[in-house]
Amino acid sequence: MVMVNLVINGRKISAPAGSTVLQAATQANIKIPTLCDHPALGSIGACRMCLVEIKGQRTLQPSCTFPITEGMEVQTHSTGVVDARRFVLELLLSDHPLDCMTCDSTGSCELQDLMYEYGVKQTRFPGEQHAYPVDDPNPFIQRDYNKCILCRRCVRACQEINGAEAIGMVWRGFRSKPGTAFDGKLEDSNCEFCGMCVEVCPTGALLGKQVLGQGRAWQLTKTQSTCPYCGVGCQLDLYARDNKVVKVTSHWGAPPNQGSTCVKGRFGLDYVNHPDRLTQPLIKKDGKFEPASWDEALNLVAERLADTKQKYGGDSIAVLSSSKCTNEENYILQKFTRAVLETNNVDHCARL
Amino acid sequence: MAEALYRANVLVCGGTGCSASKSKDVVDALGAELEKRGLQDEIRVVHTGCRGFCAQGPVMIIYPDGIFYCQVQASDVPNLVEETLLKGRVVPRLAYKEPTSHEAVPFYHDVPFYGKQVRITLRNCGLIDPESIDEYIARDGYAGLSRALSEMTPDQVIEEVKRSGLRGRGGAGFLTGLKWEFCRKAKGDVKYVICNADEGDPGAFMDRSILEGDPHSVIEGMTIASYAMGAHEGYIYCRAEYPLAIKRAKLAIEQCHEYGLLGDNILGSGHSFYLHLKEGAGAFVCGEETALMASIEGRRGEPRPRPPFPAVSGLWGQPSNINNVKSYANSPQILLHGAEWFNSIGTKKSPGTAIFALTGKVNNTGLVEVPMGITLGEIIFDIGGGVPNGKKFKAVQTGGPLGGCLGTESLNTPVDFDSLKEIGAVMGSGGMIVVDEDTCMVEFAKFFLEFATAESCGKCVPCRVGGRRLLDVLTRITEGQGTMEDLTTIKELAAGMENNSLCALGQLTPGPVKAALRYFYDEFEAHILDKHCPAGVCKDLVRAPCTNACPAGVDVPSYVTLISQGKYAEALAIHRQRNPFALVCGRVCPAFCEHRCRRGELDEPIAIRQLKRFMADQEIKNPWTPERVEEMKNKKVAVVGGGPAGLTAALRLAQWGYKVTVFEAAPVAGGWMALGIPEYRLPRDVLQAEIDSIKRAGVEIVLNTSLGKDFTLPELMDKMGFSAVVLAIGAHSSRRLGVPGEDLDGVIHATVFLKDVALGKPASIKGKRVAVVGGGNSAIDAARTALRLGAKEVHVVYRRTKAEMPAQELEVHEAEEEGIQFHFLTNPIRVVGETKVTGLELQPQELGEFDKSGRRRPVPIEGSGYVMDMDIVIPAIGQSPDRSCMNGDSPDANRDGTFKVGRELETSRPGVFAAGDAVLGPATVIQAVAQGNQAALTVDAYLQGGNPVSKEAWLAYRTQEAAWNPEDFASAKRPAMPVQAADRRGHNFGEVEQGFAAEVACNEAKRCLRCDLEREKQMAQDAREAAEAAEVAEA
Repeated sequence: MVMVNLVINGRKISAPAGSTVLQAATQANIKIPTLCDHPALGSIGACRMCLVEIKGQRTLQPSCTFPITEGMEVQTHSTGVVDARRFVLELLLSDHPLDCMTCDSTGSCELQDLMYEYGVKQTRFPGEQHAYPVDDPNPFIQRDYNKCILCRRCVRACQEINGAEAIGMVWRGFRSKPGTAFDGKLEDSNCEFCGMCVEVCPTGALLGKQVLGQGRAWQLTKTQSTCPYCGVGCQLDLYARDNKVVKVTSHWGAPPNQGSTCVKGRFGLDYVNHPDRLTQPLIKKDGKFEPASWDEALNLVAERLADTKQKYGGDSIAVLSSSKCTNEENYILQKFTRAVLETNNVDHCARL
Repeated sequence: MAEALYRANVLVCGGTGCSASKSKDVVDALGAELEKRGLQDEIRVVHTGCRGFCAQGPVMIIYPDGIFYCQVQASDVPNLVEETLLKGRVVPRLAYKEPTSHEAVPFYHDVPFYGKQVRITLRNCGLIDPESIDEYIARDGYAGLSRALSEMTPDQVIEEVKRSGLRGRGGAGFLTGLKWEFCRKAKGDVKYVICNADEGDPGAFMDRSILEGDPHSVIEGMTIASYAMGAHEGYIYCRAEYPLAIKRAKLAIEQCHEYGLLGDNILGSGHSFYLHLKEGAGAFVCGEETALMASIEGRRGEPRPRPPFPAVSGLWGQPSNINNVKSYANSPQILLHGAEWFNSIGTKKSPGTAIFALTGKVNNTGLVEVPMGITLGEIIFDIGGGVPNGKKFKAVQTGGPLGGCLGTESLNTPVDFDSLKEIGAVMGSGGMIVVDEDTCMVEFAKFFLEFATAESCGKCVPCRVGGRRLLDVLTRITEGQGTMEDLTTIKELAAGMENNSLCALGQLTPGPVKAALRYFYDEFEAHILDKHCPAGVCKDLVRAPCTNACPAGVDVPSYVTLISQGKYAEALAIHRQRNPFALVCGRVCPAFCEHRCRRGELDEPIAIRQLKRFMADQEIKNPWTPERVEEMKNKKVAVVGGGPAGLTAALRLAQWGYKVTVFEAAPVAGGWMALGIPEYRLPRDVLQAEIDSIKRAGVEIVLNTSLGKDFTLPELMDKMGFSAVVLAIGAHSSRRLGVPGEDLDGVIHATVFLKDVALGKPASIKGKRVAVVGGGNSAIDAARTALRLGAKEVHVVYRRTKAEMPAQELEVHEAEEEGIQFHFLTNPIRVVGETKVTGLELQPQELGEFDKSGRRRPVPIEGSGYVMDMDIVIPAIGQSPDRSCMNGDSPDANRDGTFKVGRELETSRPGVFAAGDAVLGPATVIQAVAQGNQAALTVDAYLQGGNPVSKEAWLAYRTQEAAWNPEDFASAKRPAMPVQAADRRGHNFGEVEQGFAAEVACNEAKRCLRCDLEREKQMAQDAREAAEAAEVAEA
């Protein structure tokens, strides 16, 4: 790998050729604030938070897109740079509802964190604010564009990760916002409700509807887990409050999904705490299901399978497996069917 | 095939402007007429591209004579063919008329609009048939390409373009040759040549005209560029709103393929180049190169950060070169004539020519191509013919909506990339919008901001939100809600946007606002502090244009309405609330109100001044006693000077319960009204009547008592017990000529001359030859007075032209009628004589550079002096306050001798205020009255501490119902004022104007359009709509 030497804040570092200033800085543990940047998405240089001073450049440059060159000298926190960031934050604040008290994003909001970091308590530039209705009728995603900072992460996630391309930028200037074609409802678009847009949204503009009011970041405990819905084995982060799963996010940086998640994994885990969910085996006695122990239940099943096979032959039994099972489980089940039950009557729900 | 030889060629402009004024009909009519007369083989008609003179369209040139016709209609054709094409005579009716002299200019090369132009880029526009490749080739078309392909290597081509110094004509001015070199050196097999024809500036249409009028020049330039860079594919990105440009460019591309000038192996050189035309959907930001490429690729047209630059990674990630239409159109000429030829034109750093779309308030609107380095003033006044309707030039916006406005102080600025940048404007793509005094610069800046914010793509925060906030601030200011802190906010927002926006659109959006703030700061201040829009544009601040134009803010629509109803006393009461001198102003006011009267845009302004006189005259028998509106206060105020400012201040303060004494040095009160304005304009009994009214308010006027001689400023305040002093001492000191001989016997300054006449001891003038030097009102007053005293000849010598005279037009006109001789562009350089004046040596002047007032400075023509025999010389070239009497007690003064005051007229001495000519320099009665009102308010606030609210209520406007139907007076004409005959009046001091009869006045009043009511209606509607919108938003 060809390495390039540069100086950031007086520190000599080297980074692989082709890196951006932001990548080089991150690698050297120098933190440059960002809003529109996301490691999983292409850089667009839109939010202007990551502006840095590069010697020889007429104006400040976005570090997320500026490629490093040999001998480059960068200042990430000079007065000019900090002023520029504050300017951007004040502008964002001038068109942002100040309802952090009740916002579900409080504690996990990147905008809030930056306002705190840069000490932006109020804006010098008050003016007209957006008043979009928050009324998209879909069951999963709340879209509150009054809180949108137009970082376009949602749009890029939709295009680059999921490929659904359900949303893009609509209108121009101060009116511009992410939206579906003709700025309609998600249900009428290509949207698959995978929620990747929610996943990458830095503010409270996009939130899972099920999450609303369930707790703030610091009130939840995170547990990495595997998605139970299919055999891919996507890694998820489950957030629980009072031993109850209230929110699911993608787990980044691990195979097999590398942060990508579908609608089921993200929005379909509410059954976990559902009162109708089976939590133990039931055995029907006298026409009524009665709770039983696993041993009782498994013994009953084994007994009845053996009985049936003996009486009517293996082919009298058919086995249907589920795509919620892992590959290994499916393999074992077909092995069991063929070798133990001695029948080829085995199939899988994914064929339906 | 041998072309038929024609006896004459008729070139009819087919540019967009002329097409809109039906040039196609003219072409058809010509065709039919020529056929009818069997001339079709003798005379050829060519429908050309744009000639540039759009204001005069359709325009036509007939060769070989070069006869130039404008505004030709199809119905003119038979006469034109008969007279010009058959009989060889010019039809004067169709010739261009010079806007001020109205003289016909029949030949193309004599038309001033074309006089200073140098057409390189537009050389074929308007000359050839743009749909014929042969005509292009006949004009050396594709010769530059041919030279490049056959004689030069790509590196040599780049070297030639670099040496020519050609800079990008899109506006940024980057060296074109260097750009080509970057792309040539970039690694990659596939490269693109792109032409930016996304001309989005409102009012700019040069790229359009080139593509419509000479599309091959662009194609040839692009092909040369493709050879230089090793590109084989190119795009012309043209906005879809230009259908004719698209049609002609596509046709030209087809023709090139037929001729082997595009495609494979061009001219046998082995080089191949394919060109496509891509239509843009009309987003302004697509003029930005990265946005343009995104748009070609089919994505949302938005810019991206650079690097990587297009030369490295452009269209579809390949090295690409983007130039403006004009840059490509220039290249073939450079290749053909060489770099030296090109950089011999224009300036060293900006060689070549620039094309401007000259629009707005200028006589000759159109497209002009000028050598770089020509001054803005030359473009606007020499080529553009100046501002129409005698209005004053105010500013020019260069560089389109992202450029900046420049005022009169910039008229001498050479137009090139660097000079414009230095003074806060940009070359941009070449829009040039001229505005006159009727334009509000705050509103103007807001207009461009509205455009830029609407066209922002919304990608980066500074442009998206910052632009909007800038607009919010300007909107507040134009609505009268602004604060001075807003001006700081504007600067902060502008700096933030310039430094942090992603692309040039965001970086340049604050340009117009910044320039307006830089050059027209006082207008921002007026909006914020005075809640006044000087130009009378911002509707929240402008009750009616007339009221707004009046320095004292007199409620014109109300008193005019009351006059129409015969309610003269009520009308006068309204008038006097803001101006006590109705009788005086009815006679001598320059009537700023009439100048702005909206009716004047339809036919003629309402005769407001004469109506005022009529109204005031009704009262002479029942004189006014001003009412006292507040309790007596135990405080004394001294007013020094009994002119209009002093008397107005005194009256107001007396009405508010102060004990006021006016100290007047002269034996009569009235200041310049009594001592300067001649009796034929203002009879003394009329003036006295008005002064007597003021006395009845309790104002004490002490005559023959002068500051410095009879009392001093400290004495007034300490010994004499006055709590406040208003200095309204006028401007009675006359400026000296500064030439030899000016102290000779017979040199009498106008101030002295007029004062002596007023006091009954006139200088002996009878039978003498008199020269008055100057062009202001005092000069004309002195001249007309001299004539009435029996002078043999009266001459007025003025160093500029009549158009630049500050005197009222009517006065000059009346003086001319009376036989006074004017010598313009003439300046005295010596008063001739031993002890007494015997002559005046004069030197002719010519107009040179522009001065700060936007007028051309007179420059002497050396060695051309001559002597005129004279007996009396009356200098009237300027006046200033005479502070010599103050013996060092004077508050601080400006360099011109006027008092230095704050916005509320407070001087540097506590308790001392100044007003009138002593602050303004020689001005008008109404301006003095306005200052008198202000001084009174300030004194009252000073003595009471804080500005009492009662005054605001007292001064509030009350709208009168209109009691007539304006439609009934739609065709009514302004009546002429009866005047004494010119031959009689020159010999007496009787009043020149005789006044209206009652019926005439009442009818004239009903011509008023009542703009105040219209505005109220509109504001009520706006408020209703806003309330409805708020309800909807809440629901």
